Amino acid sequence: MAGEGAKWALRNGYATERDLEHTEEGGMLAGADPDRISERAYQRGAKQLGTLGSGNHFLEVSRVDEIYDSKLADALGLELGQVTVMIHSGSRGLGHQTCDDYLKLVGGAMARYGISLPDRQLAAVPISSPEGQAYLGAMAAAANFAWCNRQVMMHLAEQAFLQALSIAPRELNFELVYDVCHNIAKFEEHSVDGQKRLVCVHRKGATRAFGPGHPALPEALRPLGQPVLVPGDMGRYSFVLVGLETAMRETFGSSCHGAGRLMSRVKARREAGGRDLHAELKALGVTVRAHSRAGIAEEMPHAYKDVAEVVEVMEAARITRRVARLKPFAVIKG
Amino acid sequence: MATKADAPPAEDAVLFREFEHTGDIGIELEAPTRGELFRRGAVALAALLVETAGVAEIENREITVEAEADPDLMHDLLTELLALFTVEGFIWRGASVKEAGRSICVTLRGEPFDPARHAFRGEIKAVTYHQLMVENSPDGWRSRVIFDV
Repeated sequence: MAGEGAKWALRNGYATERDLEHTEEGGMLAGADPDRISERAYQRGAKQLGTLGSGNHFLEVSRVDEIYDSKLADALGLELGQVTVMIHSGSRGLGHQTCDDYLKLVGGAMARYGISLPDRQLAAVPISSPEGQAYLGAMAAAANFAWCNRQVMMHLAEQAFLQALSIAPRELNFELVYDVCHNIAKFEEHSVDGQKRLVCVHRKGATRAFGPGHPALPEALRPLGQPVLVPGDMGRYSFVLVGLETAMRETFGSSCHGAGRLMSRVKARREAGGRDLHAELKALGVTVRAHSRAGIAEEMPHAYKDVAEVVEVMEAARITRRVARLKPFAVIKG
Repeated sequence: MATKADAPPAEDAVLFREFEHTGDIGIELEAPTRGELFRRGAVALAALLVETAGVAEIENREITVEAEADPDLMHDLLTELLALFTVEGFIWRGASVKEAGRSICVTLRGEPFDPARHAFRGEIKAVTYHQLMVENSPDGWRSRVIFDV
């Protein structure tokens, strides 16, 4: 999985060729070196494959309640009233452990390269250094695990719908719109000072948002621009956007990846004290299943900014264009 | 064996205080001795993961960690304990600490995590180095740890 990513899922019956076409990098980042992942990271990941994880991770079942661009929506297979599933999860414990392992390794090597940083949770070495190369191999392997994990969960979600509704796959028509990550460093060609250059783009809490015509997009999506998923909060809505050409010039083909928090987790829990959040969300038409009450409190709608305002800003800046709004009615918090 | 200073207080809740940190969870610990500070860190981590009132102290696990500096020792100890929960599925309520130079040995008292009996409070992804602090002052020992959740 760390080597092949979502291709492992394809080989094992959890994915289709079409799924991989609609996944960033085809679900497998080149340069992955599974040997650079520690035994403990594998132990943590192995127990968590096919699971969401808590924090801000979720599986959201929504209805398309607003279409902003009918031509684009049609091309992405989205229509008003349609039911969608959005999954937010990543490399789970395997990725967290890899981060921890390399913070130690890279943090210990920084002085050799004359680098010092103000926070020990940050670490940097030259890309060409042995430590930099080792990290990039490990990071790609962790990203591949994440793509595989999401693909497996998507397959499990499809199975759940098929069983619950007792219908055939053709009737369900469960098709991936797009799978994109938002914590990764990638080598891409961009125009810098009027010249094409290979650069390492680090997207932390940012989503790739390539504009129309980019060669990295599959043929079916190339004329449209890359689909960008921007989840909001569980009580309001999430958005499907597409990247615009301006993003290539202004933001290295990148967009925001979510609403962003308004309250700390501690404050959200305090504000939720004594309130029946299940009932409040039910009144908004949302059923929530979560491991813990604290988990719901920390993720309650008003702990987040209104994502509609966030995506409007992105559209005004011509980084992305809105395609559809998704209104959740069932949310699972891992 | 736990020393007198290491004896657990009646309520786990007084062991740590959570503080505001957007997106993550931060805790502050205070203790009269260095050993007790690490013991409280171990118990606090368990209390962040599950409602520990329902955890039976029927098995012991021992974790030894060594590091040059106390902040690293706190980070590495909590990281080992997080792995004990996430990889081995062991949850604890009680702990005692033995100090030996730059290393500490923590004995945990608990049982295998059972989601049917133990109320899970939330996942912790990692123990971070962000604003990590362990210090000794005239008022006693203090520590601050931020967890990535």
